[in-house]
Amino acid sequence: MRTFRLVAPFMALLLVLAACAPGDDNGGAASPGDNGNGNGDNGGTAECPEAPSDAGGGIVVTSLWGGAEEEAFRAVLEAFTEETGIEATYEANRTDYATVLRTRIQGGNPPDVAIIPGIGFLRSFARDNSIVPLECYGIDVADIEGEYVPGMLNAGNVDGTQYGLMAKVNSKATIWYDPERFGEFGVEPADTWDGLVSLSDEIRNAGGTPWSLAAADGWTLTDWFEATYLKMHGPDAYDTLFSAEGDWTDGTAQETIEKMYGELLTAENVEGGTDGALATAFVDGIAKVFSTSPSAEMYCCGAFVGGIAASGDVNPELEGQFGTRYDWFPFPTIEGGAGEIGDISYGGDVIAGLTNREEVGEFLRFMATVEAGTTWAEGGTIISPLAGVDTSVYPESVQPEAEQIANASSAHFDGSDLLPAGPDLGAVLQSAFRGDDVGALLEEFQAQVSNAWETE
Amino acid sequence: MAVANPPAGTTGGSSGKATGGGFSWAALFFMGPAALLLVVLLIFPTFYSLALSFNRGRGGQFSEWVGFDNYVRLFTADPNFLRLGFPPSGALWNNVLWLIFYTSLCVLLGLIIAVMATRVRYEALIKAIVFLPMAIAATAIAIIWRFVYFPSSETGLLNALLGIGGVGPVAFLGSPDTVNWALIVVGVWGSVGFATVILSAAIKGISSEVLEAARVDGANETQIFWRIIVPMVSLPISVVAVTLIVNVIKLFDLIYVMTNGGPGTSSRVIAFAMYQEAFPAGRFGYGAAIAVVMLLMLIPIIIFNVRRFRTEAVQQ
Repeated sequence: MRTFRLVAPFMALLLVLAACAPGDDNGGAASPGDNGNGNGDNGGTAECPEAPSDAGGGIVVTSLWGGAEEEAFRAVLEAFTEETGIEATYEANRTDYATVLRTRIQGGNPPDVAIIPGIGFLRSFARDNSIVPLECYGIDVADIEGEYVPGMLNAGNVDGTQYGLMAKVNSKATIWYDPERFGEFGVEPADTWDGLVSLSDEIRNAGGTPWSLAAADGWTLTDWFEATYLKMHGPDAYDTLFSAEGDWTDGTAQETIEKMYGELLTAENVEGGTDGALATAFVDGIAKVFSTSPSAEMYCCGAFVGGIAASGDVNPELEGQFGTRYDWFPFPTIEGGAGEIGDISYGGDVIAGLTNREEVGEFLRFMATVEAGTTWAEGGTIISPLAGVDTSVYPESVQPEAEQIANASSAHFDGSDLLPAGPDLGAVLQSAFRGDDVGALLEEFQAQVSNAWETE
Repeated sequence: MAVANPPAGTTGGSSGKATGGGFSWAALFFMGPAALLLVVLLIFPTFYSLALSFNRGRGGQFSEWVGFDNYVRLFTADPNFLRLGFPPSGALWNNVLWLIFYTSLCVLLGLIIAVMATRVRYEALIKAIVFLPMAIAATAIAIIWRFVYFPSSETGLLNALLGIGGVGPVAFLGSPDTVNWALIVVGVWGSVGFATVILSAAIKGISSEVLEAARVDGANETQIFWRIIVPMVSLPISVVAVTLIVNVIKLFDLIYVMTNGGPGTSSRVIAFAMYQEAFPAGRFGYGAAIAVVMLLMLIPIIIFNVRRFRTEAVQQ
């Protein structure tokens, strides 16, 4: 009886809630597309939030960039202030960025403009009306579309409404190596998958270890998977796989994983073997190729690898030696695969407005100009998605990457960043690398992914 | 316990019964502020979370009523939370591992150290050493142990020791097979001092006459430990165990700093899963459902505690 007395109030409350909450929902705050899938909400019927009344003249921009990235971005903000007279304040949250941003939004104190890391986040922010559609600022997508590399505005589009602009991008189809040591091995970069496999064999036979793999950080494996999948099954299959219609159990994903681990990233081709690779984190992985005592020859994916390799984190001696001591070649095509060399995967951040103020609109409009893109590009930390930014403004070490992106036959956003929050493709790839059954892993992953798409 | 009894109109008898008759302004005056704080900071958020757990909860708002959907997904379609099979995994299962091994190891080691320490001259020193981790913030403990576990023999203490034996570097925190055990060891290291100090005080409270009587009657030391010491400190043991169990259910900081739930999601515990779903992933309704599960897990412990306080009050 005593036990019951303690539990009874909770049970009573449960019943009361169960009875009244649906009514509560209807009376609650307006929510767009009530079932969350946004159907029937297409076609630019976006609701515009009211402008906050207590806002000052300036705007606050938040992001997670620090260091050189922050400096380069501050230059853009200064150029904006110079042009419009609107003060722009930068706030960086280096850790727990998403948590801080969400908490600020919930607390009714959002920044005016925020960099949104990942499209999953963008969708979720769009669906709870935390970010403001571009049309509320009077920005017509058709007017600015021409400024961008084709396809690069799509990432900011949620259910037919444009919420954000692609701010900066990075190619993920780059394989980094040391030209000098390649010379010592007497090998050349490969432009086909089979060529890459035999290149790896040659290095191994000559006593080297071809690959460094930072498998402790699951996202480095997702970059590998995405690049391989794109070249193997082509752009259309890639776009489908990473959408709500994607089917991870249709065999294409399994085929890709088996090719990746079975032919290239075998235990003997990877520095430290399976266990060693699984214990290697991202920057340590780079260091295995570019430190002063290297133990592997190639490192894939992420054009930002070069910048880190030549920084104080790995080997500052490499600075200024791009092309001779560190360089990259494009992720190769696969024999019989549907992807071309110009079909690349890329990562990037979207910039979006959170308060419906004129100044924010001004800023977003400014961000879509070649002038802003050029100022930012000169900092050397980003590649601008704006087509009009001349590749000659980039520092020499990032020019090839800028060209790769500008000349891409099709550019596809980082797939794991397109998936809704929750399911961890990196963990699946780690388990597969460890030797777990790929089919079973993908079956479970499919269940998680479709669950996450439904509840997003 | 006397303080908790309202001074006016106590009817005696069962302490479970509400006080009869008389209304006391003094009682209201003294209890009011505490009651207000409890309502605002504890009771309201509890009911708010409960309501939110039946909702999609986009952006922390009541956006869409989903009934028991969150709970059904949590237990049937979320391998990050609970995956049955062999071996089971998921945040809930990890918490079960913690519950069993962390609690029992802390109590057992605490008891052993307490009993052993009373028999040596440098007892104070031993207890100080064992108790020292209690004075370190959990975040700092986590950082210290990240270095200990670091997967290279140059940085990681443990791998350096293994290296002497010729065993290659082991990624203790990098493999799903070892990560939970590695974390539990850290938890035990951080909490065994607490168990030691409480239990050692309790053992000191056992009157020496009892022990001498047992020795005179021919009991050996093992018998004295199991038949006399353990039963006589059973109440402190349960206090320690309950505190440790509560620690386990709300465990967060160690996981957050040491592995961030990884590799993948293999070292998540429920409190971490709640944070991960609600804040970074923005699924507040889902996170609230996890919070309610946590609350339900704590209710039996609350009942146990309340009961014990009652029996203590009666004994006094």
